[in-house]
Amino acid sequence: MSRRTVELVVVGVMMAGTLVAESHKELRFNVGAKAGISVNNTYGSISVRPSTGNAVVINAILYSDKVEVDSSQTGNRVEIQSHLLPGATADSGRADYEILVPADASVVLHSSTGPLRAEKLHGDVTLEGAGASVDVRDISDAHVHVRTLNGPVTLTNVQDGHVEVDSLSGEVNLYQVTGPLVQVVSTSGKISYTGDFGRSGEYRLTSHSGDIDAIVPENTSADVSARSVKGEVHDDIPLQPKSHTSFLVQKGSAFVGTMGRAAVSSTVVLRSFSGKIHLRKRTAK
Amino acid sequence: MNCVELQQSLAEIEDGSSAAQRAHLKTCRACSALVADLNLIATSAIELREAEPSPRVWNSIEIALRQEGLIRPQRASHSLLPSFSSRWGWARWMVPAAAALLIAVGVYVRQHSQPESIATKIAQPINEAEVAGLNDSDLMQEIAEQSPAMQAQFAENLRRVNEYIVDAKGTVDENPNDEEARQSLMDAYQEKAMLFELAMDRSLQ
Repeated sequence: MSRRTVELVVVGVMMAGTLVAESHKELRFNVGAKAGISVNNTYGSISVRPSTGNAVVINAILYSDKVEVDSSQTGNRVEIQSHLLPGATADSGRADYEILVPADASVVLHSSTGPLRAEKLHGDVTLEGAGASVDVRDISDAHVHVRTLNGPVTLTNVQDGHVEVDSLSGEVNLYQVTGPLVQVVSTSGKISYTGDFGRSGEYRLTSHSGDIDAIVPENTSADVSARSVKGEVHDDIPLQPKSHTSFLVQKGSAFVGTMGRAAVSSTVVLRSFSGKIHLRKRTAK
Repeated sequence: MNCVELQQSLAEIEDGSSAAQRAHLKTCRACSALVADLNLIATSAIELREAEPSPRVWNSIEIALRQEGLIRPQRASHSLLPSFSSRWGWARWMVPAAAALLIAVGVYVRQHSQPESIATKIAQPINEAEVAGLNDSDLMQEIAEQSPAMQAQFAENLRRVNEYIVDAKGTVDENPNDEEARQSLMDAYQEKAMLFELAMDRSLQ
């Protein structure tokens, strides 16, 4: 037997083993308007997209027989739980979920490893996971709450949202995120906001040691207040100074002012203890 | 035995199994329903038992309350506290446990709403970073037991959030009237609270 044949046999055996261990499970639930969907997965990804009707469709890939899917429906609420059996590890206990839900459903996703992803929904979205990376996009008129330990968080095109992101050390990136309240709190992760701060919202980005970058287009209107206790602040955009501020504005460590038209401006508060804060103009590519 | 006597007697013989209780329950639909409800609560409470925080967490709360002088050590004999092992023990513990948690949170909020107490306690930054009796070693022990693979991540984030609290407290101490500094301190505590919550996350095993 040639060496190549041996290699092929070994690969074949390994693939066969994987295929035997892996299993698929599909579940369907009929729900009404504004249903609640909760998915709790210890190890593995959860991805949620809108369905066309009033059905919740769960497609799960289970990576071994050490993990099962427990499901229940109570009225308009569906709960899915990965159930780890004795001896399960991060690999053997892994399950990946692809879930379709009505677009107006409220979704709660938990996974300690992630990744977690939700898109094109307009119900409330809550995503939590210690090390999970979080990706939320194309959400409108909804509350978006994200909490991670060190998983990176990316929010893209969230309109009219009530957005709260807490991350201890994960990087937080917001692209075109607007709404009446956009709040990010991070201990050491970097926070980056790219967008125009909407028209009349409150935007509060706070970190302890992480840097904060806000990149805005030229026509942005906002009242901006930035302050870093021990770090630096940089402002590339000319601001109309304010006559009254709640704290002493020391050059290099704080700036306060209005850009654009004050009458339609949002309030932007950028705060860090030792991180660097940078407000910059978005350059046309 | 009338209804009042039966309800009083339930404190001693909890499941309505004495002869007098059984006799009354045969004739009284209301008391039968009450005993059925209590049995259901007891059964549900036993199921809740698995989701309870570890005894260390309760111990920590008890120690914190004792240090505040809000409770006294119990006598060894004739304990008035319900036993965990009795049938309805867990159900009975739920109300005092909830009250203890509220008191602990109240103590915590009170301590942090007074500038002078903040100033006096800044000398002990690490102790101050402990929230409502839940200390860092409790947290790390929980992680070691529940999710050892994430121990290093939690330890590093715990260190960072403690630094955040110490720095934020220092700023408040320097400028006690600075509302933003207070907000920053609140954010720091919120981050630490989140760390504890993630450590007890239901997705962790």
